[in-house]
Amino acid sequence: MKVIINDKSIEVPQGTTVLQAARSAGFEIPTLCDHEALVPYGGCRLCLVEVQGARTLQPSCTLPVSEGMVVKTESEKISQARKFVLTLLFSERNHFCPYCQVSGGDCELQNSALKEGMVNWPLSPNWQRYPVDASHEYFVIDHNRCILCRRCVRACGELVGNFTLGFEDRGAKSFLVADFGVPMGESSCISCGTCTQVCPTGAIIDRVSAYRGKVVDVEHHNTICVGCSVGCGIDVLTRNNAMDRIEGNWSAAVNGGVICKVGRFIPLNEKRQRVNTPLVRRGDALQPATWEEALDEIALHLQPLVGNNGKDIAAMASTRLPAETLYAFKNLFTRSFGSEMVTATEEGVTTGLVAAQADELGKPFESHLGSVQAADCILNIGVNLADNHEVVGFFVKRILPGGVKLVIVDPETNPLEEQAEISLHPQLGSDADLLKCLSAAVVKLNLAKKAASISNESDLTSAVQKTGLTSEAIESVARLLASAKRPAIVYGKGITAQSTNTALKALLEFAELIGATLISTKGQANSVAAAQYHLDKPLKINGHQAAFILMADEKPSQRLIQKLENVPFLVVSASYISQLTAMADVVLPAAIWAEQEGHYLNLEGRLQLAQQSVIPQEQVWTSQATLEAVAARLGMQVEGEWEIELKKRVPAVAIS
Amino acid sequence: MAKPKIASDWLCGCAGCHMSLLDIDERIIAVAELADLRSSPITDLKVPDITGVDVGILEGGINNTANEEVALRMRKSCKILVALGDCAVFGGVPAMRNFFTLEETLRRAYIETESTDSEGKIPDDPELMRPTQVRSLQQVVPVDIFVPGCPPDADTIFYVLAELAQGRIPDIKGDKLHWD
Repeated sequence: MKVIINDKSIEVPQGTTVLQAARSAGFEIPTLCDHEALVPYGGCRLCLVEVQGARTLQPSCTLPVSEGMVVKTESEKISQARKFVLTLLFSERNHFCPYCQVSGGDCELQNSALKEGMVNWPLSPNWQRYPVDASHEYFVIDHNRCILCRRCVRACGELVGNFTLGFEDRGAKSFLVADFGVPMGESSCISCGTCTQVCPTGAIIDRVSAYRGKVVDVEHHNTICVGCSVGCGIDVLTRNNAMDRIEGNWSAAVNGGVICKVGRFIPLNEKRQRVNTPLVRRGDALQPATWEEALDEIALHLQPLVGNNGKDIAAMASTRLPAETLYAFKNLFTRSFGSEMVTATEEGVTTGLVAAQADELGKPFESHLGSVQAADCILNIGVNLADNHEVVGFFVKRILPGGVKLVIVDPETNPLEEQAEISLHPQLGSDADLLKCLSAAVVKLNLAKKAASISNESDLTSAVQKTGLTSEAIESVARLLASAKRPAIVYGKGITAQSTNTALKALLEFAELIGATLISTKGQANSVAAAQYHLDKPLKINGHQAAFILMADEKPSQRLIQKLENVPFLVVSASYISQLTAMADVVLPAAIWAEQEGHYLNLEGRLQLAQQSVIPQEQVWTSQATLEAVAARLGMQVEGEWEIELKKRVPAVAIS
Repeated sequence: MAKPKIASDWLCGCAGCHMSLLDIDERIIAVAELADLRSSPITDLKVPDITGVDVGILEGGINNTANEEVALRMRKSCKILVALGDCAVFGGVPAMRNFFTLEETLRRAYIETESTDSEGKIPDDPELMRPTQVRSLQQVVPVDIFVPGCPPDADTIFYVLAELAQGRIPDIKGDKLHWD
């Protein structure tokens, strides 16, 4: 369509809003309630423009262009209108710029007023006292600063699908509430912090970074979260080489800007103590040492263990480490030391069966998160998306209001049940049976998308009994999923951590029958890369003389600590002090996730580069540098083609 | 032609804006060459000339009847009135007092404070000023020029003084315009 904006003629597709058209033509229109990731709302009225033939000024953010529309984005009338809108916004509640955390550059409301050249407020604040809700662990809501733009409400619904935030009452009494009017800290809020990121004023502010200074003064680091295998794109804000705040990156391909508390808040609330210097055990106690001394000690104990069929040394690396480091790790211990007990902290629990399946099939069999976002019916089995891999849960929850149906299969109560069409609670361990019954039901209902024969009836009856469910319930789920045009299955540990692949095979068969795409939530940040490098066997200490644990910033499990208790010589490279470092013979200070860079392979096969955001203290080395130093001391090599090696094994999802 | 006369005073403010004014450092000599600095709270003369001045500058908002009197006196005495700083322009930090009733405020200040070791008494001598709701300057008298900031930069204040001293109205925008 042809549109004339400020005497400039442009062509835009039908459906474009006047705001989008103006921007594409190079004209900036001020906005407040508008946001790049949210559906336009038209609430603040700051984006008003003159449209020839229209009686009044029109909001450009929600007005679709029409053929031959003539628009003016600057005029005396528009300028007066903007000042008036801002004046009303300021006088509606109580704004105190002198001491506000976002005043002086980070407040979109203030910036809009300054842009219009406003030197004062023609109207005074309303002086009615609005509450401050400081009940939430990670952020504070000051209702005096709220401009009722609803960005937070829209984000909580549209981006995350949680719908905790809403508005009660009308007109001057309009008020932001959580659930039916409870303190934020007692609400159904899942602490994703998206509301905090989108709030244009200081109404919702992050507790940690408040009062540290203006965002305009920070450094931005475009990197990847290593909280789980989703690998969300994040922006780490640092000030004087310290992390200030973590935000979602709106232009990231994986997550489009949404992140969960694991990526946003938990890293800034770290309570553990850092390992600041190498430590060597002398007698009973660990004593500070130099890197030289620590490496000497390591060489002293490990050099004799080289060779000997590799039965003397066990090694384990954290799946939070980059691919390059995992590769170097494998090179050092599998190749140079010849050890057979080389694995990663996840021990293949979530990836083992899936990787084996890919090996067997000889090709990838899972798909991308995009298939979940485009689904019309989703089966969620074997993973609680409210507990972990939350962003996948967001993708599921936020499309449900559009009519997408969700089926939850979980032996325990699952928070997503409330929004599910059907929930099944089979007996623990009966997944394989359930899936066989579902497949049989699909065939019986004649809804199978490929030819299949029906199983033995008697087998089915006993299978139904094992699940503890009724055959009607199973049939209704089968009918729902099989009638869908684009069914998607999201599954996880419940299926993939089992001791045999019976349940997995049953799931694959069911997926094929109903033509569903599959995606599993493969554990930690680089569990997939670890699987690709075959670093996925369970750790078994059996007479090993030494163990080398490249823990990085991961928290060691009790199981691991117990397994390593009797190893004669234990080297631990870790970021934080723990029971594990306390029992080690040599402790090497390791960089945390933000202090290193490297590649991560996410659950949908995306190979992403995480950048360094913080420079570690002098004595703290990256796990990569640690491996190189140890190798050099022992006369070994860790270099090689990490990427080629990564792509050798057939992955569950094609690597891109 | 006589040099324009400038007088200043402060109301419910912290004096920070006057300190920022002093931060123009040696440029005050240039201002003094172009204009006649009459009275201010930080010089010998405290009250503007009875015959009037050209420019009156007020820092701080109005928080009691005494402030009201000073504001009215300055407005009557000058041709151009300048509201200096966020308190004068918007009400500022003292305006947070408006969330409480006068009674609550006086009781808190004179009776409930932790450092009051006797019974405490709210002063009620008829000669004393009475507290009022905290207001910005323009809610009490018409204001001609607004200089927001907490405090406004010394550079901004110098610009304002220099313009006024040369008979021009300052246009505060861009780098000079901020509300914090």
